Amino acid sequence: MSNNAIPRDFLKNVLQNGMGRYVCQLQRITFRFCKSHPGSRHMRDFIENHMLDFTQKNPGVVVYLQPRRHRPPSIVAEFLNGRREMMEMIDKEPEEICKWTEHMRGRSGVQIVNMIRNNHTETPSTQGIWHPFMFRDSETALTKFPNPQLSAVKQTGKTATDYLLEEVEKK
Amino acid sequence: MAHNRVMQWAVLARTWWIYDANQQCPFRSAYRLTTYLQGLHKPVYHRHGDVGDHVVVFNTRHIAMRGEFWRTYKHFHHTRFAGGFSRASAYRVHEEDPTRILERACHNRLSGLDNKRTLMKRLHLFPDEEIPEEILENVTGQIQQVQAIPKKLEDYSQREIDSFPRLFKMPEDYDIESYKRENRLEPDQHTSKAWRLK
Repeated sequence: MSNNAIPRDFLKNVLQNGMGRYVCQLQRITFRFCKSHPGSRHMRDFIENHMLDFTQKNPGVVVYLQPRRHRPPSIVAEFLNGRREMMEMIDKEPEEICKWTEHMRGRSGVQIVNMIRNNHTETPSTQGIWHPFMFRDSETALTKFPNPQLSAVKQTGKTATDYLLEEVEKK
Repeated sequence: MAHNRVMQWAVLARTWWIYDANQQCPFRSAYRLTTYLQGLHKPVYHRHGDVGDHVVVFNTRHIAMRGEFWRTYKHFHHTRFAGGFSRASAYRVHEEDPTRILERACHNRLSGLDNKRTLMKRLHLFPDEEIPEEILENVTGQIQQVQAIPKKLEDYSQREIDSFPRLFKMPEDYDIESYKRENRLEPDQHTSKAWRLK
């Protein structure tokens, strides 16, 4: 498949999940299989031996079983943000189905995309973009250059010579 | 925002700065000028972005070097032919071209950069006060000097010199009139013969 078929976007996430408590983004998972076809053998094995462990560990996730005659096995995950992900489970053994089920449980539900850049903001600066005349004294617009006052080093305090001359004048 | 495009023009606008090299150290000046040439003074600086400014320098004939540097600081050159090596003291180079010392100081400061030649083209050096009007009209800011201009002995009147308080008495044989005499030091032995004073 050509590269541009994969969507490209900036990094997105479900923000503030885990600030109060963690909310599992997976809401419903559907295991689809055939009761008789040998293609769904591993899926039937998974349902018999591993599925109840998953439901007991994750009471917040609704689990559906959907038998479909003579159709390949698959899982469908539905997330809190409304997205729905389908994944084929053809030729996948029960351990691998366990792994992909866990993968769906841990996902944020945001679509997997190629990242355009690592850094991005939805809210650009409210102060406005910097430009060369920002924070410059507006008097410079009327100044005639070269200007000796702007050129000279800003001196603070007295030199030793100044101090000496002052002391002499006092006496 | 509709005017984003115009705002970007303002951000990337190339501004012109002016610098008075009168009685300034060329090496410390180069440190400051190359900052402006590269655009390091801008918050939008990036080494791959071409954000440097133009710098106009005048009075380069009147730069000041500390210590014995006019005599001991050397400029080297090799033509890549056999025997093509030559070197010259700073004062000799300065006599030939009064903008050369500051130009090489900035050039050396930018060593290692790929865009050095481009940046050096934006440095405009003038030996005296005269600057062409078409260059001066672009200038929108002045770079502060690196050191305060000292008052020379010639600038004091004889009355001021006489009335200046004396902290201690000079010895009888101390030579205080030397600045009035002509410089009779031998010409610099380390300068290539072609460059020596005749």
